[in-house]
Amino acid sequence: MSSIERRAFMQGAAIGALAFTVGGVEVLLTPVEARAQGVPLKVLTADDVKTLDAVGEALVPGAREAGLSHFVDQQCSVPPHEALLSIRIANVRPPFVNFFRAALTEIDRQCNAKHGKPFAELTAGEQRDFISDMRQGKHPEWKGPPTQQAIYGNFRTSAVDVVYGTMKGAERLGVPYMALVPPKARW
Amino acid sequence: MATHEKVDVAIVGAGPSGSIFADVLARAGKKVVILEFGPDWDYKQFVSSAIWGKQLKHAPRFQLAGQHNPGHGSNAGWGTGGAMIHFFANFPRLHPSDFRVKSQYGKGLDWPISYDELSPYYDRIAEDIGVSGDAAQERRWYPVAKDYPMPPLKTFRAAEIFNDAFASRGIPLAPMPAAINSTAYKDRPACVNCGWCDVGCAIGAHATPLVGHLREARKRGAEVRPFSYVTRVLTNQSGDRVTGVEYYDAGREQHVQPAATVVLAAYSAENPRLMLNSATDKHPKGLSNRNELVGKFLMCHSNAAVWAMFDEDVQNHMGTAANQFMSYERYDKTWPKKGFGSIFLRTGSAMKPNVGIAGARPDLFGQPLADFMKRAVRGLTRVGIYGEEMPRAENRVELSSDKDEFGLPIARIIHGYDRDAIDSWDFGREEAFEIVKAAKPKEAWKGGGAAPGSAHLVGGTIMGTDASNSVTNSFGQTHELMNLYIAGAGLFPTEGSVNPTNTLMAVSLRGAEHMAKNWSAIAS
Repeated sequence: MSSIERRAFMQGAAIGALAFTVGGVEVLLTPVEARAQGVPLKVLTADDVKTLDAVGEALVPGAREAGLSHFVDQQCSVPPHEALLSIRIANVRPPFVNFFRAALTEIDRQCNAKHGKPFAELTAGEQRDFISDMRQGKHPEWKGPPTQQAIYGNFRTSAVDVVYGTMKGAERLGVPYMALVPPKARW
Repeated sequence: MATHEKVDVAIVGAGPSGSIFADVLARAGKKVVILEFGPDWDYKQFVSSAIWGKQLKHAPRFQLAGQHNPGHGSNAGWGTGGAMIHFFANFPRLHPSDFRVKSQYGKGLDWPISYDELSPYYDRIAEDIGVSGDAAQERRWYPVAKDYPMPPLKTFRAAEIFNDAFASRGIPLAPMPAAINSTAYKDRPACVNCGWCDVGCAIGAHATPLVGHLREARKRGAEVRPFSYVTRVLTNQSGDRVTGVEYYDAGREQHVQPAATVVLAAYSAENPRLMLNSATDKHPKGLSNRNELVGKFLMCHSNAAVWAMFDEDVQNHMGTAANQFMSYERYDKTWPKKGFGSIFLRTGSAMKPNVGIAGARPDLFGQPLADFMKRAVRGLTRVGIYGEEMPRAENRVELSSDKDEFGLPIARIIHGYDRDAIDSWDFGREEAFEIVKAAKPKEAWKGGGAAPGSAHLVGGTIMGTDASNSVTNSFGQTHELMNLYIAGAGLFPTEGSVNPTNTLMAVSLRGAEHMAKNWSAIAS
């Protein structure tokens, strides 16, 4: 990344925004805004989003509304060393979208095999049980990589990030954000 | 391929060790080039966000093997300043016994230098970069020649709440020495206790190479080349000297940087990889590896937190990522009634919701997690321990069959804790649990599972008395190639159980001054 590109990126980060493409033009939006505006996704499919949103919401209530899928989609579309995903330090080989695609495919494959429907269509209780088993690596016929625990840990971290890692998230929890470089938007 | 003009010193890695070598040698009038794998950061643009802060960490990819993989990702550096730009700034020093483990206990290894020999360098580093602490209180455990240049950092309830509990178990505490300004120091301001140290300090109160040795080196002409991925160290035909390094730039163009001396100051697992990948007919096993010790004796600190939830506001959103108190009272390697190895106790630090707090109960998800977050943002704190493992040759770095994007083998890290390390860690965690319970929290629980977590990565290119037991001498100069130096925590023959940055900087300063002082003999 050149110094000019990096400066532009960091300015985007300073306002809590990421670069999304709208009508062929790159604009800086927060994931919440991107979701609200229905910004087209770059790498994830509609089915991916349905599952990712459902898993994210089951892991961390509020993740769907906070724009988890747009966050993951945007972060998978930038060069790996610019991505803000936990898998960048989890020894995962880029491109990172492969991790998410493999994970989402396997989650739905497991759910279809056990319940005859994808994760997003499970009841809340079924979703909870599925994730609990995934956390403990208890799905017996799991086809990885990624492993069940790697998916649980990294999906949970991204969902926690968009829900609680923002100024808005801190405000919801009633705790001061204490920004030294204050983000201008509540991303 | 571009071949550059020859320089005096080519340094691989712009972290604290590489920056110290650059500063010392630039001051000595040498022409210095630093090749850094990552970007060139401007600390003033660091954003207060644990999401954005992930960008400061981008570990190289390793093949991991063995029973207990090191958690290298969080500890590795990427870009100028290295891991120090996101380190917690805990700045303790090794105990004198750590340098004489073999002699004193009949286990592990000895360092080729003593605590007393390194002590003046600890003092000088403290003065160079600015360290806050209370040396008088540390002297109950080991000699500290000079007082720290600044008083200790401000403390908060998250730490103070355990003071009586520690006292009730006969454990004295001292302020954690921290590489953070408690007052204005040199041209840098005092810390404002925002708690964002580990995503990069935008005011420069956090001591990093960006506001210290690297900045000074640049003032004296040292050149930093970011996004430079070094692939090999080059040697001459007779194989008795290194002649420079080969690297790729961001555009994947190959370069050769000729140099009179080379300093490998990359990550502990990357220096061995470079040495092994630099094999030639004269060095068929890799550089300075005649006795096959390159990559051996890799170590991690075993790590655990014991968590406590209180009804009161413990101010855990304020302060520093550095712990506020520490104790060496359980540091004697024979203190654990099971296992062997020192235990370092520490307590109190700032925690942000999406990192420290959500990470305190990784088993929770859904509504229970949401409920926990509401309670924990005000009431959660912890006592932490680090444990020690002994150096063992089977814990090592070797070349993988897996390749990087340039077709060179990546590093394969093989690591597992032995019974002594697991048992002593477990014993230390029980002690921390007793301390936490004595503080009478509403809830208390032990973090981690049956096996230790890990922090820091040291060893792999250890120093020693000669080539039969080590890769380098006590200055980091390799036994087989006198103009090739290693810098960083990879040199440690034993690890103690304290954060390694203070020691690796002291060792680097000593090594860099050795190179400068003996320049004619080394570089000619």
